Amino acid sequence: MITAILRRAGAGVLVLWAAATAAYLALLAAPGSTVDAIIGDGADTPGIRAQITSEWHLDRPAVVQYLDFLWRAAHGDLGRSYLLQRPVSDVIGSQLLPTVKLAAAAAVFGVLLALVLALVARRLTSTFGLVLVSTPPFLIGIVLLSVFSFRLGWFPVSGDRGFAALVLPAITMGLPIAGTLAQVLRDGLDRALDEPFAVTARARGLRESAVLTRHALKHALLPAVTMLGWSFGVLIGGTVIIEQVFGRPGLGQVTVQAVNASDLPVVLAVVILAAAVFVVINTVTDLAYLLIDPRLRRS
Amino acid sequence: MYKRQHQYAQAKTRLLVWNTFEALLTHDDKGGFLPWLASGYEVSPDGRTYTFTLRTDVTFSDGTKFDAAAVKANIDQLLAPNYAPGVAAVQLKNLDRVEVKDASTVVFQLKKPDVLLLDFVSSPQGAQISPKSLKEAKNLKAGGPELAGTGPFVMDRYTPGQEVHFTRNPAYNWAPANAGHSGPAYLDQITYRFLKESSVRVGALTSGQVQIVEGVPATDESLVSANPDLSLQRGLNSGSAYSYYFNTAHAPFDDVKVRQAFREALDVPAVLNGVYRNTATRAWSVIGPTSPFYDKSLEGTYGGDAAKANQLLDEAGWSTRDAEGFRTKDNKRLTVRLVQSAPFIRDRRDVLAQAIQAAVKQSAGIDVQVQLVDQGTATKALTDGAYELFDNSRADTDAGAALNLLLYSTGSINRTGYKSPELDKLLDAAVATTDQAERTELYRQLQKLVITDQALVAPLYAPQDQIAASKSVGGVGFEPTAGVPVDAYNLWLSK
Repeated sequence: MITAILRRAGAGVLVLWAAATAAYLALLAAPGSTVDAIIGDGADTPGIRAQITSEWHLDRPAVVQYLDFLWRAAHGDLGRSYLLQRPVSDVIGSQLLPTVKLAAAAAVFGVLLALVLALVARRLTSTFGLVLVSTPPFLIGIVLLSVFSFRLGWFPVSGDRGFAALVLPAITMGLPIAGTLAQVLRDGLDRALDEPFAVTARARGLRESAVLTRHALKHALLPAVTMLGWSFGVLIGGTVIIEQVFGRPGLGQVTVQAVNASDLPVVLAVVILAAAVFVVINTVTDLAYLLIDPRLRRS
Repeated sequence: MYKRQHQYAQAKTRLLVWNTFEALLTHDDKGGFLPWLASGYEVSPDGRTYTFTLRTDVTFSDGTKFDAAAVKANIDQLLAPNYAPGVAAVQLKNLDRVEVKDASTVVFQLKKPDVLLLDFVSSPQGAQISPKSLKEAKNLKAGGPELAGTGPFVMDRYTPGQEVHFTRNPAYNWAPANAGHSGPAYLDQITYRFLKESSVRVGALTSGQVQIVEGVPATDESLVSANPDLSLQRGLNSGSAYSYYFNTAHAPFDDVKVRQAFREALDVPAVLNGVYRNTATRAWSVIGPTSPFYDKSLEGTYGGDAAKANQLLDEAGWSTRDAEGFRTKDNKRLTVRLVQSAPFIRDRRDVLAQAIQAAVKQSAGIDVQVQLVDQGTATKALTDGAYELFDNSRADTDAGAALNLLLYSTGSINRTGYKSPELDKLLDAAVATTDQAERTELYRQLQKLVITDQALVAPLYAPQDQIAASKSVGGVGFEPTAGVPVDAYNLWLSK
């Protein structure tokens, strides 16, 4: 058991290192130097360049900068943002909570809606799911805003200001997840209902709803949980658009800004954070398999 | 988007900076200056000594008194290594030293005459931060609520990506003469929210969730003008017009005839109307039309004559055409590259570039290649000279500051590659005198050289800002000279 956990943790650290290194190399290979990125479209003289170089210690070889970055990161120091002139931990820290709230609310909404669609509105699921999956979140967001905020005034348009402001963004983000999840669940349910145990259950006189919830659902959950773990990646990517449309603070905006400005310390921190989230979620997903499927516990 | 003063880089943020921070002087609407934190100033006859007399009744919001030592502390900070290299290298390049003569008198000694010093001490970069903040702030360069200023509001909350909140400074009593009223601001508090989607901004306004928005693109204008409770205002920005600069360092724009031909091939009003639906103001000079140095006599002197464009190209040797209809010379197509950096695109300038591409292809067979790339790639292309057109506009309050960067032979964004002692002499002379009439005459000669004689630039439009507001809001307008939306000092809300 303990070796399994250690192996898991070791693999996690390896993933973090690989993700950070890949991001570092990608930014290194991108055209233009860090000095170019900091100057942007502002005034550009040799004097300014020299000052920027010395301020951020950019005169050291790339390998040394990379090793220095790793060493500091290992000690929890992610450096300072070139663009925002603050410690990266501040930048990320202040934007983390709104993103987590949004992602969690969207995931809960998505899962609930998927369950309802798959169990109750089974006939509708296929068409409805397809529509949800294929509509761009940007459009969903604008339409929801137009109707429920601009016209009806039920929800505020912007910001991270309490529960009311979370509703529309969470729905916008949760709908496509619900669409995909519902499809997967329905497939699983259909397959489970064809199994002999479903026939047996029915023969015992169980109502169809009981057959569904007590017997078939458990079988259908396994692929759905895999899907949910994967969709957290979509959630992280999706926040960029949601934050833009709804004027919310969050990691998505920080990331886009940092990538556009080649703000290396922030980009690397976001990549490491995203990789960490993925490692954790994958671990949780694997544990969830054990809970759902007793066969896996035995082996 | 960032709340910074010394580190300020975008004219868009002036309205935020001025709520909390103030400068020694402010612009009037005729190209002159009015007292603000300074009660007056004097320039020595040789133009190298600027003496400012300061108000004695001003305190920063942290209780520190504003005096000559505070002004010196701010300048020292700007010149400190790694703090604001851009300001030190551009605005303060001619500064020798700052002397505190007494508590209310501060003297700027220059290495050589530079009238742009007055523009600097009226700018957000020259705004005054409490010396206590300069010493104690943990993230001085990042700005934010930990920095104290003298302004009519105090910033008490800043959530990056969401909003910034200001509360009235009740002790405020030193507004400049053109501020609209005196004493504290009318509003108790004000929140600025950052809504990046224009349709969401306008929707928030029409549904009454916000009272005023900045930035209404032409496509959303009808939503505002159709609503009787809303008003729409446009203001033209100061500085240089949005223009295409020709790279004269190599073919084909090393030939003045080809440069002229490009301008003749381009029907500017037609492309502007196509992209901005009659809301854009055409530019005729590298200097924006609201500047006191703008030469109005340039209007109508060139452009939009396809026949002339074709004749000029014939004369320049681009007389044959290839299978696709593009002009050629020695079997080489007349291709010009425009490299745009995607993160800095605004006003749909990428769409405008496509419209221009189509227009000059049709009228004269010029092949414009538009490359929309990331900042690094764009910088590389510019450094390598791998471009023929360079697009730019600058919002400097004194157009001379923009021209020094864009046209001086050693200017840091001189992308024309055109270097001429005559041009440098004009630029030098125009900032060496404080006489407005003399400066105007020098800039007239400069515009003749750059626009008429050498055709270095194809001016396109004067950048503008739009404000849409509920009619319950008063005091809405644009800053004199800068032409950007005003800060909140004079805003009021009817109940």
